[in-house]
Amino acid sequence: MTDLVVDNVQKWLGGLQILSGASFSASKGRIVALLGASGSGKTTLLRCIAGLEQPEIGRITIGGTPVLDDRAGIALPPEQRKIGLVFQSYALWPHRTVFENVAYGLKLRNTPQSEIKAKVEAILEKLGLAHLAARYPDQLSGGQQQRVAICRALVYEPKVLLLDEPLSNLDAKLREEARFWIRKLILELEICAIMVTHDQSEALAIADQVLLLKGGAIVQSGSPREIYGKPETFYAADFMGTNNVLAGKLVRHAGKPDAIDCAGLALAGIWKDRDPPTDPASVKAVIRMEAISVTADAVPDSAPFDVEGCIYLGEKWEYRLKRGDLRLRAQGHDELPGPVAHCRIPASATWLFNP
Amino acid sequence: MSLAAQAPRYRSTVILALFAMVAAPAVLIIYQSFLNAPFFDETARPSLEAYEFILSDPEFYRALWTTTLYAFGMVVVAVPLGGVLAFLITRTDLRGRGWLEPLVLVPMFLSSIVLAFGYTVAIGPSGFVTIAFRNIFGAAPWSIYTLPGIILIGGLSHVPTVYLYVASAMRRLPSDLEEAARTAGASVWRVSLDVTLPMVLPALVFSAALNLLLGFETFGIPLVLGDPNGILVLTTYIYKVNTIFGAPTYQVMAAVTVFLILITLPLVFIQRRLLRHARRFAAVGGKGARTNLLKLGRAGQVIALSIIGIWLIVSVFLPVGGVILRAFVENWGEGIRITEQLTLDNFRRIFELPSLSRGIVNTILLAAVGGAVAVGFYLMVGLAGHRNHGKTGTLLDYSVLIPRALPGLIVGLAFFWLFLFVPFLVPLRTTLFSLLIAYIIVGLSYGLRIIQATLLQVAPELEESARTAGATTFRTWRDVVIPLVRPGLAGAWAMIMIVFLREYATGVYLMSAGTEVIGSLMVSLLTSGAMDQIAALSFISILLTAVGLTLALRLGAKIHD
Repeated sequence: MTDLVVDNVQKWLGGLQILSGASFSASKGRIVALLGASGSGKTTLLRCIAGLEQPEIGRITIGGTPVLDDRAGIALPPEQRKIGLVFQSYALWPHRTVFENVAYGLKLRNTPQSEIKAKVEAILEKLGLAHLAARYPDQLSGGQQQRVAICRALVYEPKVLLLDEPLSNLDAKLREEARFWIRKLILELEICAIMVTHDQSEALAIADQVLLLKGGAIVQSGSPREIYGKPETFYAADFMGTNNVLAGKLVRHAGKPDAIDCAGLALAGIWKDRDPPTDPASVKAVIRMEAISVTADAVPDSAPFDVEGCIYLGEKWEYRLKRGDLRLRAQGHDELPGPVAHCRIPASATWLFNP
Repeated sequence: MSLAAQAPRYRSTVILALFAMVAAPAVLIIYQSFLNAPFFDETARPSLEAYEFILSDPEFYRALWTTTLYAFGMVVVAVPLGGVLAFLITRTDLRGRGWLEPLVLVPMFLSSIVLAFGYTVAIGPSGFVTIAFRNIFGAAPWSIYTLPGIILIGGLSHVPTVYLYVASAMRRLPSDLEEAARTAGASVWRVSLDVTLPMVLPALVFSAALNLLLGFETFGIPLVLGDPNGILVLTTYIYKVNTIFGAPTYQVMAAVTVFLILITLPLVFIQRRLLRHARRFAAVGGKGARTNLLKLGRAGQVIALSIIGIWLIVSVFLPVGGVILRAFVENWGEGIRITEQLTLDNFRRIFELPSLSRGIVNTILLAAVGGAVAVGFYLMVGLAGHRNHGKTGTLLDYSVLIPRALPGLIVGLAFFWLFLFVPFLVPLRTTLFSLLIAYIIVGLSYGLRIIQATLLQVAPELEESARTAGATTFRTWRDVVIPLVRPGLAGAWAMIMIVFLREYATGVYLMSAGTEVIGSLMVSLLTSGAMDQIAALSFISILLTAVGLTLALRLGAKIHD
């Protein structure tokens, strides 16, 4: 069942359009990540769904109820939208205990006292917070506060759970744990969740569907594998992963694979852009760093590069390579022994796009 | 923001009601100034008589000129002194900074009628110090009943206002800006001149504009010190106009007020713009970073402490000491020994006179209970304007400015008229309600600013999270905003209590038998020259203010913003 439909949402701030027609839908038991750089409009889109911002144009339906329709003049306030929102800062009310924070949404829905107690205790138990019920937010650690915020947004069973950068205030180790249990919890409760994040690995790890935003519009949407492995535009390819970006001329001969000519070096590649080349004299190649294999000795299809430096990163080495004006970043398990190394760049990993 | 558009009916009702409350007195005064008789007189006709009269009265021009001199003179005295005090106390390692600060602020909390009276009994022609000085040296070469004397005293008493703004700007100045200049090779004094001064310049300019406004609206100090020699400013001219004509001449009072508004209203607008500019400067700073203090050195300490000491003696010790001494002395004059005159009779007599003892009770009631009502009212208005970026929010912004352009004396007068003639208000005139409403309007800009600052401390997400959890706007205010600002409200109550305690001008026309208040009683006693009673009342006023201030500090009120 489709719990959330967002259709052509447009919003201006002064003369600046910050959302330019975002559309998507999400259903029960699925997690959608809104991924984008800062200023891409992802948080604004989330706040529009929550009713905290008012888009000028668009329709939003939550759980079958239209909550926004510019043509029908519908714009429900946040409290009538049946949503739960987890804030980046958690926004726990400092004057209420953990129990009271979580119980508030149920109290507003006139739930009987006994039922409130049972529901709040159950969800606190589930998230391992039962022993903290009587504490105040300032007596909790960051990770505990975050779990309280999630309990507070979930306890009254909203149709849609909205999460605004829920992991950004946690330290690195906790964050990796949280990715895992948040996904597990949402799948278990079978609710529809929308998460805003600027961190691609977070989006890939948690979401079933990733929407990549740029300038207030969705550039690409798909499963994490599709977003990472099958980008359809240069922006999408470059935004994800750690990349080598090369500019050059497109070389196209019938019967032969496409290639890019960068400063005299021809690299075979494949055309990945959803549109045909607009200007063959100026195309871009994106090569994921991990796709390049570097060896000390020449192998078939390899090309020699000067080694500019090797950087030790703990679990791996990063290589800085150079050939003429062409510079590459690659990685491997060992330090390179000599001043020259040989790179093999597979054609299937050399993705060509319109710039 | 759609949140701002929530509860629009409540917001517009409250803000429109407030606008009516602040606009009514101003409109009434302007209307009255264009009539040839009191507006309630049946023979009143539109006329420019009042303007013709004042524009042909040399006394008016003299008052206008005196007021201008007074306002600018006050700025010249107060701004440099306040700036230096702020610098010494916030940016240097001056000894005793901790306890000096509250002491520096004392003149601000006292009503200027008390202060002025304190100067009269301390260094007036037959003041304690003057007589002692004359006994030792044969003559006392000063007179505070002259324009330079009045200006000097007015300026000194307004040093705390400057201090407050400049000190808060200096505190907000992050020390890395100064450290950057130090590491670039500038000496400490160089840094103060090249970095600190330009950064606090907006605050200095703002406090200069504020003092200019206060100077034009001044009443207490020129009333007490200027009257003996016939020195009039615009407000005292308005006050004295009745005695000149021997009958109430409302149209003349109104016309002078219109002239005053023509001066004060632009000043209020300039201030508003300056404040915005000052805020923008301050916003550069970020967190109240740990500031490195300048080392004064031995000689520096001595010089700095001497400056502050002299200022304290002149601005705090002389007037307050004078009041305290005079309150316990009867029949003071040349050739009388203090030790033979110490008595409690002044107080006994106050408690024998029903109007005076009632005045004390009323003042306390109005400050404590009225202060609480005022906080409630300001909170209602504050919530109506809270995160309100719509048209009503702008209207509120401007409504708050109107009473600032009106001196308390005039607000009291206008409300006196309203309570005389608006049918449903008439029965309230002889109750404390009439005074309370006028006080609320007079204290509006100060009180609302405290409340608004407190409301803004609630992070927007805390409200938004209540909304997304299912609470309406009102429910959010009730369950989240108000509980969170409650400690701030207690502090605001104490500060407004102090403002109401020291108010004297608003009640001059508005008070009636049964609704006397200390400050306004002192104004009317001045005409009869009942020094003993004024002294006792001043002493009680100082005492009440001290109690209020202690309470404020206990409740954690923020004196600097």
